[in-house]
Amino acid sequence: MARAAATAQPAAATARLSSLVNDSFARAIFYQLLTAAILVGGIWYLVSNTIANLSQRGMAAGFDFLDYTAGFNIVFTLIPYREGDSYFRVFQVGIANTLLVAVIGIVLATLIGLVMGLARLSTNWLIRTMARWYVEILRNTPLLLQIIAWYFGFFNLLPVPRQSFDWGGAFFLNNRGFYFPAPVPQDGFGWTGVALGLGIVAAVAIHRWARRRLEATGQSFPSVLAGVGLIVLLPTATFLATGSPLGWDIPALRGFNFRGGLSVPPTFCALIVALAIYTSCFIAEIVRAGIQSVSHGQTEAARALGVKPSRIMRFVILPQALRVIIPPLISQYLNLTKNSSLAIAIGFPDLVSVWMNTSLNQSGRAIPIVAMTMAFYCAVSLSVSLLMNLYNRRVQITER
Amino acid sequence: MPDEARLAAADQPLVFRPKPERPPPTSSIGVLGWMRANLFSSVSNALLTLLGAYIAIVFFTAIINWALVDAVWEASNRRECLDRVGRAGACWPGVIAWIPNLLYGLYPKDQVWRINIAFLILVAWALPLWLPRVRSKVGIGLSAVLLYPFLASYFFHGGAKDLLWTALIALGMAAFAWVWLTTLSERTTGLPFGAVVARLTGAPEDDEAATRTRARIAYAVLYLVAVGVTTQWSLSEVSTRYWGGLFLTLVISGFGITFSLPAGVMLALGRRSQMPFISLCSTAFIELFRSVPLITILFMFNTMLPLFLPVGVEVNRLVRAIVAVCLFAAAYMAEIVRGGLQAIPRGQYEAASAVGLGFWQSTALVIMPQALRIMIPTIVGNFIGLFKDTTLVSIIGLFDLLSMARAVGEDTTWLGLFLEPFFFITMIYFVFCFLMSQYSLNLERKLGAGQRR
Repeated sequence: MARAAATAQPAAATARLSSLVNDSFARAIFYQLLTAAILVGGIWYLVSNTIANLSQRGMAAGFDFLDYTAGFNIVFTLIPYREGDSYFRVFQVGIANTLLVAVIGIVLATLIGLVMGLARLSTNWLIRTMARWYVEILRNTPLLLQIIAWYFGFFNLLPVPRQSFDWGGAFFLNNRGFYFPAPVPQDGFGWTGVALGLGIVAAVAIHRWARRRLEATGQSFPSVLAGVGLIVLLPTATFLATGSPLGWDIPALRGFNFRGGLSVPPTFCALIVALAIYTSCFIAEIVRAGIQSVSHGQTEAARALGVKPSRIMRFVILPQALRVIIPPLISQYLNLTKNSSLAIAIGFPDLVSVWMNTSLNQSGRAIPIVAMTMAFYCAVSLSVSLLMNLYNRRVQITER
Repeated sequence: MPDEARLAAADQPLVFRPKPERPPPTSSIGVLGWMRANLFSSVSNALLTLLGAYIAIVFFTAIINWALVDAVWEASNRRECLDRVGRAGACWPGVIAWIPNLLYGLYPKDQVWRINIAFLILVAWALPLWLPRVRSKVGIGLSAVLLYPFLASYFFHGGAKDLLWTALIALGMAAFAWVWLTTLSERTTGLPFGAVVARLTGAPEDDEAATRTRARIAYAVLYLVAVGVTTQWSLSEVSTRYWGGLFLTLVISGFGITFSLPAGVMLALGRRSQMPFISLCSTAFIELFRSVPLITILFMFNTMLPLFLPVGVEVNRLVRAIVAVCLFAAAYMAEIVRGGLQAIPRGQYEAASAVGLGFWQSTALVIMPQALRIMIPTIVGNFIGLFKDTTLVSIIGLFDLLSMARAVGEDTTWLGLFLEPFFFITMIYFVFCFLMSQYSLNLERKLGAGQRR
């Protein structure tokens, strides 16, 4: 009896210990504590090294430099900027330029990508094959190479302003950039804007009403046509009624360069063209895959019900394809925005170029500058993916 | 007469004699039929075809005229090219003169053989993976991924080696020898090399312990020989400053590819983990690296890595770039792996734990093999992206293929020669990426054979 108790005691202790090892909860706590310890140790190591390095090199960390005068010029700015402005203004200029490139690039890439995606599905062999090789060749070569090739191989080799390409005496392309007329609103132009706003509101209202009526009675109403008509006609009528209060500042050659109008530098053109073309290949593949993902039975079913061919695409195929197309499409938009940072290779002043390169080299504030740049890109990405998740939740097919 | 014939025929039993088949209308078969169906099925299609053909012809004649017909193949400088054909034709002599630099960067000319040999070793190392009747393919593949880098980096960098470095290089060398000995023995006798050695030294066939011991002794001898060779073997040092061209591009993408897959798997498992803190850390890392452009990460490592390390420690530029590329690639790979893991039905996990497999066993033996097969196209797509992204290191001052191509136009002899080198390296990049994507399609077809409907 006593011997049994004596042997049972160490056995119980081992059992407790082994149960601690085998208990997944205890193990989880142990692993997490271990990770936390390694992480804290690593961060402490990095921070202490950084502090030592900073003090040794006489560098300062902190955000006080944001108010200092930057003192360098930026060749192209979307928002006003002077040489005497602060570093914080440089940051804003960089963000504005990056967003400008992103927005224009996204619009162009979507248009080209849509056309190419549909061309890849064409019944015409030649068109299909050409679209396929367009996609294969352009997406299998590095974007940076394309940007540099467009710049050094095309936009940089354009003729001087005196011999620039001239479209209708208003649009000019030369080695200094692309020049186009600037709209100059005059008194009363505000009314056209108001009319445009009213037109959009009315179009949305009509579309909603038409939809409700369609669901209630089954009678359709050409709400898209009516909406487009309202949005176009209302402002046009107002514009004409108020006496066309819009002037155009047309660029003109003065001496060696153009004066007046608006212009973008050749670096901008090269960046936009390369980004749009490169991204369009991926968008084309997304569009193709999305449309092919809708089973052929859907088309056949719609035909069997007697739906007009022109309506099959709009009411049967597209709504289902869009569910597949939109998430990767948005991620391509994000990629384009991130890829616009390659502007630095040809010297277009985007965020990375003016902020992470010029400002960093000049002020030496590596840590705050890197942190701010990353924070901007993270904010863009995370907010877009948040919207994306909301969208996905809305369009998800509710099964079972 | 005809009447008689008809009467005679009437006596015969009535037999159905089909008329000979008429040939299908010429417009629906052969080249013509194909063209009709695929190019001219309607008026609008015909117009599209004509437009497409016009664009294609204009484009191709322009390219062919520029690159071949009007091109200059022999000249000593760009001036000469311009005098002969102007800008109408390509000036290839500049590219030809720069080919060694485009391939190897500024690597000393008399040492270039080292790169070639190291590359051949890699090919020879990976070759058994495609040979039939070789069974230790997992071991061969793993040894190539884990141990080849040591051998290759000595070939590339050379210089003095301390004890640890010697041991690692010898490990690579011994592993290479083992790969080929095992390949040969498995192809001839069907047994791995260790077992063959055990048989030859007289170990009984059914004594597993003795076989294993003798195999180990054989490996140890192999390793000692490799150590001996390594200590006697020395290569002059070539600093990474001279690395460049296609060689550098392949080194960086090779590191990125080999590091990103295991790191991505770990991060993906971390993100899916039940342990909240580990999941949080993995998610934060993945989201941070995925939401910023690669160039900002390269800049960050370029400017901040020297700050993060103890005072006085210098890290060379190439290492900074490789670290940045590896971490970036790992974050992307993690999301791909996570996608693959999500596609595995829950039943597989449950079945694995029902037969008593632990987490690591079920992951390695049940889940991952299935997930990896689904992920192949995306993984290869990611590798292609990584290969293209290595061009970004040219921005932080490394001489990869793209910067070497830019340097051609800045060479005083070939001043302004940009298009031709760009055209040339575009073809290099295209061939690499296109082959990778075609190989992945092929692999997908082969591995998916059981899944096909």
